[in-house]
Amino acid sequence: MGEVELSCLAYVKMYLHACLFPRCSVNGLLLSSSPAGGAVCVTDCVPLLHSHLPLAPITQLALTQVDVWCAQTQQRIVGYYQANACVSDCSPTPCALKIADKIAEQCNNAVLLMIDGGKMSPDYRVPPIVMYERKDSRWTLKDKHTIMLRQWEETREIAGQLLDSGDHSLLVDFDSHLDDITRDWTNQKLNAKIAELASPANAEQQLKAM
Amino acid sequence: MASVSEMYDVTWEEMRDKLRKWREDNHRNSEQIVDVAEELINEHASKLGDDIWIIYEQVMIAALDCSRDDLAWTCLQELKKQFPGSQRVKRLGGMRLEALEKYEEAGKQYDSILQEDPTNTAARKRKISILKAQGKNTDAIRELNEYLELFVGDQEAWHELSDLYINEHDYGKAAFCLEELMMTNPHNHLYCEQYAEVKYTQGGLENLELSRKYFAQALKLNNRNMRALFGLYMSASHIAASPKVNAAVKKANVKYAAWAANQINRAYQLAGRGTKENKCSVKAVEEMLESMQITMS
Repeated sequence: MGEVELSCLAYVKMYLHACLFPRCSVNGLLLSSSPAGGAVCVTDCVPLLHSHLPLAPITQLALTQVDVWCAQTQQRIVGYYQANACVSDCSPTPCALKIADKIAEQCNNAVLLMIDGGKMSPDYRVPPIVMYERKDSRWTLKDKHTIMLRQWEETREIAGQLLDSGDHSLLVDFDSHLDDITRDWTNQKLNAKIAELASPANAEQQLKAM
Repeated sequence: MASVSEMYDVTWEEMRDKLRKWREDNHRNSEQIVDVAEELINEHASKLGDDIWIIYEQVMIAALDCSRDDLAWTCLQELKKQFPGSQRVKRLGGMRLEALEKYEEAGKQYDSILQEDPTNTAARKRKISILKAQGKNTDAIRELNEYLELFVGDQEAWHELSDLYINEHDYGKAAFCLEELMMTNPHNHLYCEQYAEVKYTQGGLENLELSRKYFAQALKLNNRNMRALFGLYMSASHIAASPKVNAAVKKANVKYAAWAANQINRAYQLAGRGTKENKCSVKAVEEMLESMQITMS
């Protein structure tokens, strides 16, 4: 089907979420600030849970709250990501398919992204992700060539830097927010840090273009 | 790199006491344990006395959790020297094999412990953990059920079983495990709340009503449990909106939902003061509560 672009911000937060809870399955929502139609641009993500993913109440609550927040900030929910606790199996679980189905009801080129835990070590040169799209009411593997990560090297650098400095502990997922509601699941602080690290690259790009 | 004692300005006694607290509370903050204990052992081993052996055990398990096989190996050797032929040390050796993904060898290690001592619960549970690590959930469930027939009071095992059932989407059986836990731990708000979540997930009017009751019970035990508060709000709202309930039930649930919404708003107002950070989340909750009220009436 169509092309999917994954932004640095979305990738880094997803990656850090998986790193923050290495012993649990984690999941989250993929968002886009671009208008519908054409390629899917995943510009941000909201990390959701790190415990009891299949249970309904908190997932429903999170989906509703993120929906409201998206309406307030001109974003749309365009996908779902999950990283399984068991590193040897990165196939979508029934709960992943269920939530992705729900998202697809509102967004017809929604994507389902599984993080491949086995490929997350620093010596792996390619993004450790597997993407699925909806074809004939089933989630099918997406052609790798239709998935784009601009500035992949810089993105990977930034993720690594934040891990090394321990800043990944700044990440707040919805579960952590419920444990302490003063913590912000929209992650404004972490977003700012990532933007700071990303901007030298942007500045260089702009210089080259000029 | 600065040492832990320098960075946090703590004495070796404070570090030792912190480790004890983490041991007693069964915390899995393995990276921290490794940092603190490694320094303690390297710099202050002589002062620790007999405490050092239990610290070796604690840091060895933490080291395995962080892929620090070098440290785990050192600890294991020290323990083997001090306690030759010990079942407890043998089990640690098995755990190291598990960490290296040598599951067959680990299994044999645990089997040899069980041959000498068939009541050794630790070895039995490690064997079940191996099944879980290999993704063999149905086998793990079967073995854990057999284990619980013999060791019916093992809380940790009941909780593990409920988690396994939840992951297999077998909510009825998960609820049964949580019922066992609630019976033996009537003051634990987390078990009530988890039970309520499972009932909610099962769906249907009867289960929703049960879930609402148990969310309420969890709140009675701990009025700061936000999951229980939101759960109460959502279950009461769904019951009130159901076409199958009579007017009296609807009225009661509208009241419960309104109370919960009020509490939620108060909690978020309190949280929103003083920090600019979570303004977004506060606004999102406000709007969500408003929109859900509209669909209810």
